Amino acid sequence: MKKILAIIWKDTIIRFATPSEILFFIVLPLVFTYLLTGGVPSGDDDPRIGLLVVNEANTPASQQIVEQLEMSTAVRPETVTREEAESLFDDRRAEVVLILPAGLSSDSIQNGTAKVELLQQPNNMNALAARQAVSTAIRRVTSSFSAAQNAVRERERREPFASETQRQQYFEAALETARVLQEDTPERVTAVEGSTAETEETPTYDPRANTSAGQLITWVFIPLFGISALFAYERQRGTLHRLLTTPVTKATFLLGTISGQVLIALVQMLLLVGFAILVMKLSWGRDPLALFAVLLSSALAAAAFGTALGTFVKSEGQANGLSIMFGMVFALLGGCWYPLELFPTAIQNAVRVLPTTWAMQGMLDLVLRGGGLPEVMGEVIVLLGFAALFFVVGVWRFRYD
Amino acid sequence: MKKIFLIGIKDLTLVFRDRPALIFMLLAPFLLTAGMGFVTGRFSGGSSGLSDIPVILVNQDQDQLGNALEEVFSSEELAGLIEPTSSSDVEAARRAVDEDEAAAAVIIPEGFTRSIIPAEGTRFDQSFLQSEPVKIEVYANPSRPTSAGIVKAIVDEFISRVEERRTSGMTAIFQLASNGLLTAENAEAEVRGIFENMQDDEVAAITIQMNEEGAEAVEFDILSYMAPGMALLFLMYTVSHGGRSILAERSQGTLPRLLISPTSSTQVLGGKVLGIFLTGVAQVGILILASSILFGVEWGDPLGVVALILAAVFGATGWGMLITALARTPAQVSNVGSALMLIFGIIGGSFINLEQMPSLFRTISKITPNAWGLDGFTTLALGGRLPGLIEPIVALLIMGVVLFAIAVVLFNRSGMLQK
Repeated sequence: MKKILAIIWKDTIIRFATPSEILFFIVLPLVFTYLLTGGVPSGDDDPRIGLLVVNEANTPASQQIVEQLEMSTAVRPETVTREEAESLFDDRRAEVVLILPAGLSSDSIQNGTAKVELLQQPNNMNALAARQAVSTAIRRVTSSFSAAQNAVRERERREPFASETQRQQYFEAALETARVLQEDTPERVTAVEGSTAETEETPTYDPRANTSAGQLITWVFIPLFGISALFAYERQRGTLHRLLTTPVTKATFLLGTISGQVLIALVQMLLLVGFAILVMKLSWGRDPLALFAVLLSSALAAAAFGTALGTFVKSEGQANGLSIMFGMVFALLGGCWYPLELFPTAIQNAVRVLPTTWAMQGMLDLVLRGGGLPEVMGEVIVLLGFAALFFVVGVWRFRYD
Repeated sequence: MKKIFLIGIKDLTLVFRDRPALIFMLLAPFLLTAGMGFVTGRFSGGSSGLSDIPVILVNQDQDQLGNALEEVFSSEELAGLIEPTSSSDVEAARRAVDEDEAAAAVIIPEGFTRSIIPAEGTRFDQSFLQSEPVKIEVYANPSRPTSAGIVKAIVDEFISRVEERRTSGMTAIFQLASNGLLTAENAEAEVRGIFENMQDDEVAAITIQMNEEGAEAVEFDILSYMAPGMALLFLMYTVSHGGRSILAERSQGTLPRLLISPTSSTQVLGGKVLGIFLTGVAQVGILILASSILFGVEWGDPLGVVALILAAVFGATGWGMLITALARTPAQVSNVGSALMLIFGIIGGSFINLEQMPSLFRTISKITPNAWGLDGFTTLALGGRLPGLIEPIVALLIMGVVLFAIAVVLFNRSGMLQK
């Protein structure tokens, strides 16, 4: 035990020999988590997407569209001139612009000749969401016109109008009725987030929790893969060879090295989880024991992978490059940066061979589904299996020089 | 000049013999770009990698609208995107979602149709209109937010159309009633008749014209943003790795050896800078070429691409020289270089879309070669040519010149290149 503690202490000193390690240990993970979870204050309390509206029509119909947009939960309309809008759009400072041209009126809507223009930046998710909101607003306006037209037709089927004026009056009254009915439309769809929690408290989906978990895995796995660099460093300097002359077995040395890095990783994970809970106000599940089981098994799997990798690399530089590359690629493919659902099915199945996939799955069971120890047991067992496999490979291939 | 060139070529050759460096410079960004290609559906031809979204439909309504919603999910239009299955067991459907076997379960409760379209014999009065709505439940899988969102959007769209018809029917009925054309005796039959005879081809409409001649007209390839994003990210590693070699040569004693030869310190520094620059150009050039050959990315105006690569590498080289001038050991350069690579990656737009960031953040991003480089590559991807790249190219050149000047002052102060 004393030898293991001595190795842990030695590795901690080596790792934190330079102040820049603090940057990778906690500063950059916090910065990335904060920025990628949308932590940057925009200086605007309204989180809706800004939509520039050029209202050149200035008719009741165009005003209705603007009013519908103001009620939208997705966009925040801001009326500007055409010049301003085009200038901001060309400079890519506006994601989407809606132009309500002159001629947009109740008449043009009724006879189907009304047109609006929508400028949207390509490949921009906000622009796509804004386009959807514009379509919805326009549909609400046109559907009230359609309803009024239908009412006029139904009336004409029973009793013709005496004059065009009477017809128009009937249309106006029907239009008002349609708008009132639209406003009173009840909710007919309810969305419920799936949860394995047995309690009444169902966690609500928060994409920031997803990002926070993904960043945690990325920033903890990369240095744990970097255990390979630790071995290469000692081998290059001959200190590993020197161990042969001491009464330290291969297993003791590996156990000491891995335990030390896993302990440091657990401290790093707890700091990141604490930051997410206290600063970002995110939920990290309801079961601390289950959380600890997922964190520990993930750290063990990553550390064992780093150990196995350390037996293949020849130099510290090679180990550093490979551990960062594997860390980033495994994180991307394991669903830590983007939800795994976005990958093709074949890739989703193939990435089950990566420890990051299981670590992320375990964390999602905790933070998104409110799961407990029984729910994450499958992932924990797989991660421990990875740890055992890589550790065996590491011990088998381990060499002192 | 020949000496500068020889030193530069020597450094370029050394880097391309260093396998670990090559893995990091070329393989890592290439693999990450490929991964991003999968996520965005670039390799499957879609707007994202989403396809065959598993959905469980529990139709307890078994009436007109419930069956119509089932048909929507099984329609030809959604084939490929949605993979619906039917179930009669609500709990089993929810369990399948909890176990990640489905993205969502759509539960259509009994009486859904009759809560909207009155059944024969139903009194069409205030109690019918004010009755509690029967709601469809979308039980969503939280670990598949995008897929569940698509399912919810399909249900919302369906309900929206139903509501349109309902509003239309109700408006006609209320207007007839308020004009005395609907009596209590014939109301029920008229109401059902109006709902059933409603026309789908409404005339009232507003056409939304998309920006045909603008950005929308150009087929924007997401990889033409992501591939340079990753290349510029790892370019920062390359320039710091090159800067590291200057300090490594000093600690290994080869730098003083160079300086006692008939080579001036300016030539040595020039050669080292040229080496870093050539390595960066080779790295970005190879990645751009590989993306073109293997992923079929079209980069647009070749002259613009070359000019932008040269300017971006020049700007990044400036940062590499500044880090080297400030550091004392090769390890310091590596550590600071790696940190700067990641910081510039995130604030320069390699990881996140800068358009979603507040203006202050976008302003800060201008100190990075990543932001200017990506700005230029986006312009090219949208069909822009060399004249449209003047702003990012000039900004990158100024960045390189200013940083290089500061580095030279710092080198002179530290006396590192004095004979």
